[in-house]
Amino acid sequence: MRTTALALAAAAALGWPLVAPTYVVFLGTLVAVNAIVAIGLNLLSGYTNQLSFGHAGFLAIGAYVAALLTLHLPVLPVPLTLLAAGLATALVGLALGIPCLRLEGLYLAMATLAFGFVVTEAITNLDWLTRGNDGLRVPLARLGPWTLDTDAARYYLAVAVAAAMILAALNVAATRTGRAFLAIRTSEIAAEASGIHAAAYKTIAFVLSAFYTGVAGGLFAFVVGFLSPDAFDVFLSVDFLVMIILGGLGSVLGSVAGAAIVTVLNDSLAGFQAYRPLIFGAIMIVCMLFMPGGLAAMTRRKS
Amino acid sequence: MSGSAVAHVVVSGLATGCIYSLVALSLVIVYNATRTLNFAQGEMLMVSTFVAWSAQRAAGLPAPLAFACGVAAGGVLAYVVERAIIRRAVSATHWDVLIITLGLSLVLRAGAGMVWTNDELPFPSLFSNRPVSIGPVRVAPVSLGIIGASLVLMLALVALFRATRFGRAMRAVAQNQNAARLMGISVERVYSGAWVLAAVVGAVGGVLIAPVTFLSTKMGLIAINGFTAAVLGGFGSMPGAVVGGMLLGVIENLAPLYLPTGVRYSVPFLVMIAILLARPRGLFGRVEPRKV
Repeated sequence: MRTTALALAAAAALGWPLVAPTYVVFLGTLVAVNAIVAIGLNLLSGYTNQLSFGHAGFLAIGAYVAALLTLHLPVLPVPLTLLAAGLATALVGLALGIPCLRLEGLYLAMATLAFGFVVTEAITNLDWLTRGNDGLRVPLARLGPWTLDTDAARYYLAVAVAAAMILAALNVAATRTGRAFLAIRTSEIAAEASGIHAAAYKTIAFVLSAFYTGVAGGLFAFVVGFLSPDAFDVFLSVDFLVMIILGGLGSVLGSVAGAAIVTVLNDSLAGFQAYRPLIFGAIMIVCMLFMPGGLAAMTRRKS
Repeated sequence: MSGSAVAHVVVSGLATGCIYSLVALSLVIVYNATRTLNFAQGEMLMVSTFVAWSAQRAAGLPAPLAFACGVAAGGVLAYVVERAIIRRAVSATHWDVLIITLGLSLVLRAGAGMVWTNDELPFPSLFSNRPVSIGPVRVAPVSLGIIGASLVLMLALVALFRATRFGRAMRAVAQNQNAARLMGISVERVYSGAWVLAAVVGAVGGVLIAPVTFLSTKMGLIAINGFTAAVLGGFGSMPGAVVGGMLLGVIENLAPLYLPTGVRYSVPFLVMIAILLARPRGLFGRVEPRKV
């Protein structure tokens, strides 16, 4: 049953560009990118209870690192560029995560919010490097002899990366680290009493989360093809939060579902910008009041 | 830079700082009673200010009466939100409430954009903007007005918390909710009271600052500076919120004189990060013991 479902999902994901119109393929790519971010955010918020309002900042760092690497080092194949984007962002995550260990709940949320603002301000002001508000045109991604110049090619790249990262995240809970995360979520103090080094694992969660988001940022740069700091404002961070709240905190597949719904909703509401925050805000309130645990908890209850 | 020019900058910094103090106070009032942060505090302030604007424009009320309408509307909005939404999630963790108020802030901002406008509007002021000289220092009466009105409100809050039954109940709940309940205090009533009081304090800040910053749906972002101010003073401490707000206002106004322009807009955030990293409990805060 499970293998059939997986095979069907894989077939659907692979066949998508063959049947769908170009724009919808592009949308599918965005879903894959956002799903990676949502999983990354969920590793932090859903698994270790650290709320972040700054993931747009991480995404921006990953995106700019990937774009600048491709600009100045065009020989680098895409997988390495993405890896570099992820690692650079993870490093920033480490630098932010260690001091943030001292902070809890509200404080952490606000520190990450401030981080997001500082990142966009920094991008705006480092205009010799990032071209600031004029924006940065991202060259096409290259993989050996191929140039990923079609939507379908970029789609396959994003889906392949997303599949690998979803698989890794699904198996995190099977590792010692993953179980430590879950123990910390249940009760940090009880986890510490059981010999789990909460500070170390919370830092790992931060770094891991930043890595996921950085890789997604790299993909985002290639998919969108043009970067400017205002694309990474705090509302994007809020969108990511809506994804995991809707999908279910602590659920990997829920994150994917949440990312898909929010991305498609975002796109279909493009003509009604005024209603977008209204609807997203309402989703957050309704989820919290009537379906805590999001979509993931709903399906679980049924089965 | 001459001394009197610096004094001018400091006074207008203090005026902005007073508003930050008021917003910080409203955040702290809700936090002390319910242990959660109201992310929509800034948006509630914004809606109250819009109501005041409408009362003056559409209904043609004189400015002070229109301001009172706005402040009252803020209180009513807070009461409705607390009873209809927040109360339902009381059993939830403060995480959940945080996310609910975040959603609420989005809804309120989008709603205000639809009901009123997304543009910036000029807002009537009770005080003139033309600088007057006090000795060698030139200050804008609007700054002095903001500082004076804020100080009056703060004194009123001190009186409320010291001398009234409700104020004492709020302090008791802030100290120990269970003990307060056992002493016969209706904690639920304190919850809604705290929401209303916080909204009223925030709304006063809103109508005071709107003439300076203009009225727009974005003015709710002032809550971030309010939060920074509260953290600066030690989150949970009311005197801390007042001092933190004024300090932040002055720092923010002085910083552009000494820093490159690009850094300017990041100042509140940089201050927040610095404080959180160096001294998370702020200037006047206490460390609470953690429990399993």
